[in-house]
Amino acid sequence: MGNLKLTSVTKSFGALTVLHDIDLTIDNGKFVVFVGPSGCGKSTLLRIIAGLEDISAGGIEIGGRDVVQLSPAERKIAMVFQSYALYPHMSVRKNLAFGLENLKFKRSEIDTRIAEAARMLAIEPYLERKPRQLSGGQRQRVAIGRAIVRNPDIFLFDEPLSNLDAALRVQTRAEITRLHRQLRTTMIYVTHDQVEAMTMADEIVVLNGGRIEQVGTPLELFDNPRNLFVAGFLGSPRMNMLKGKVTAVGEAAAVIDVGYGVPLKARIDPAAAKVGQAVLVGIRPAHFAIGDSEGLPFVVQYHESLGTETYVYGTLEGRDEQIIVHQAGHFAPERGALLRIMPLPGRVHVFDPDSGLALPRTIEQRSAAHEHA
Amino acid sequence: MSTPKATDLGGRALDFVMGIVEAPINGFERLMGRKRMPYLFLAPNLILFGIFTFLPIAIAVGYAFTGGTGLFVSERPFVGFDNFRQLLQCEDYFRPGSCRESLFWTAVWNTLWFVGFNVTATLLVALVTALILNRAMAARGFFRAMFFYPVLLSPVVIGLIWKWFLDRNGLLNAFLQMLGVPPEIFLLEVGWSRFFVVVVSVWFHMGFYTLILLAGLQAIPKDLYEAAAIDAASPRRTLLRITLPLLGPNLLVVLILLMIRSVQIFDEAWVLTNGGGPGTANSFIVQYIYQMAFGSDLRLFGLASAASVLMGLVLLALTLIQLRLGRKMES
Repeated sequence: MGNLKLTSVTKSFGALTVLHDIDLTIDNGKFVVFVGPSGCGKSTLLRIIAGLEDISAGGIEIGGRDVVQLSPAERKIAMVFQSYALYPHMSVRKNLAFGLENLKFKRSEIDTRIAEAARMLAIEPYLERKPRQLSGGQRQRVAIGRAIVRNPDIFLFDEPLSNLDAALRVQTRAEITRLHRQLRTTMIYVTHDQVEAMTMADEIVVLNGGRIEQVGTPLELFDNPRNLFVAGFLGSPRMNMLKGKVTAVGEAAAVIDVGYGVPLKARIDPAAAKVGQAVLVGIRPAHFAIGDSEGLPFVVQYHESLGTETYVYGTLEGRDEQIIVHQAGHFAPERGALLRIMPLPGRVHVFDPDSGLALPRTIEQRSAAHEHA
Repeated sequence: MSTPKATDLGGRALDFVMGIVEAPINGFERLMGRKRMPYLFLAPNLILFGIFTFLPIAIAVGYAFTGGTGLFVSERPFVGFDNFRQLLQCEDYFRPGSCRESLFWTAVWNTLWFVGFNVTATLLVALVTALILNRAMAARGFFRAMFFYPVLLSPVVIGLIWKWFLDRNGLLNAFLQMLGVPPEIFLLEVGWSRFFVVVVSVWFHMGFYTLILLAGLQAIPKDLYEAAAIDAASPRRTLLRITLPLLGPNLLVVLILLMIRSVQIFDEAWVLTNGGGPGTANSFIVQYIYQMAFGSDLRLFGLASAASVLMGLVLLALTLIQLRLGRKMES
């Protein structure tokens, strides 16, 4: 069974600790994405699960079995490498067969599995070719095929799409998702691309500086980021941040002043906020309504039209921090135009500027956010 | 000339030299045209190469068809294929004694045996050494330098060192005596002397081949080994199915160089065995050529040249076959 349990996994290279006390449980059959900026430890964590790196401390269980002392081959995992790591001197067929031959599978069983994987990935026409005779996308499929024939408990993907061009990346993304639905096997997928994370994952693990920042479904993380890092990392363009001050705390919502005499309502737990407390207010570009008279004064600098949507870049009147506002459809404000923008109700995130943590929200807020989504 | 201002000494020296050569080079460029300039820069090397490599080859080929003992072409009568006939005239090529030039055929067979043993032994030793040095180990740089060090020595020095080591009163016999083993006159016994000619040659040259193989090993991407580890490949399977096939082109280069160099065995063996001894047990083709031309006032330049030409043709054939194989391997 492909469930995975990491307990207090720590990894150090000499004096440098790259993973701190990672605790993580992944249920069987889930598609989990490790996401984070370069150097956050996501690839190292994947390689630790694969058995390609030792751990300095902690425990790893796969299917309830302690695998810390086991070699990669004994862990019943298969890995797809960023570089594909196909054996360049072997044909596609031999690449697929190599692992099974090593495990002393019967010839007939090997042939059956290769035929099945080749059909599933539509690589039948290339079985006798060498990897260098294939395009990047085809190599990618062969690399996935090599993982499939092993019939592993867990698939590990290390940034598998980063060497493909944009169009192929979108296509392969969909194919991997389809493959997961078909195989129902646990897949762990490392990427620095938050779009891949959002579109593919059942569950996202956000890593930063060797620590897990937050674990949850894509929408949980999007709607309720636990801290400034997650709020800034997921969502593109990134969340806007405004400095503010709590002016009133009520049962259902707190009132926050960000200037311009426009009080913002945020549904945060009254126990968590104090009047007079300095906060950071986070609002995603898509969560502004552009009004006529009400709202914050927004001075337009320029806009980007993507056809079906428009991003307007500017600042609040008299301030320097850039604010991005999303608008559906065509929208072409003049440079220097003054717009009034108002955050949508229930879409205001509030953070403690010192700890970076989000102030806990009221329960209604969470469900409301889900309905909106 | 507007080179950036150099502050360091090397940079200033370069500026100085550039200042001197700039005007003549510009002059040549106007004279010859830009397209022909590369040949100007190649010329010095080509001229030296021509004088010391191409010209001697041409002279040797020419001399192979002449007779007599004169040094200059004008003093040498044309004899057609006589020299080749003399070398190749044989009742049974497997019995050098039955050949008109028995010394030549003894040398040919000695050389063939030497090439066989030396190529195999050097290849194996260099490969194993490269595989060990390729692992993450302490003092890797030291060992790499140590194995390469003999390559830097002169063949004559190598011959003398080992002679001193293997001599009747040498280090090895002293050591054996300490262990209670009776001394052996290694260099005067046919089997031992041949064995040690190979040992010395392996020791002398392995560092060079180890370096080529090590470079090849380090060019194999690390993730292929990780993929193989996940694919449950045993160390033996990894070596046979991943490492060796991917090292193929380097092994081929090593094999070609080794064969060519082994056929050319002469200097260190000549010094070590006191001129090919005992008897003619270690007399090789190059030694035969040397002795015919320059040894004991024979001055048989024609015969020596003919033997050189034959050896050159064999080496050329070997190289062509191996290049063909290499191309086949790649496609």
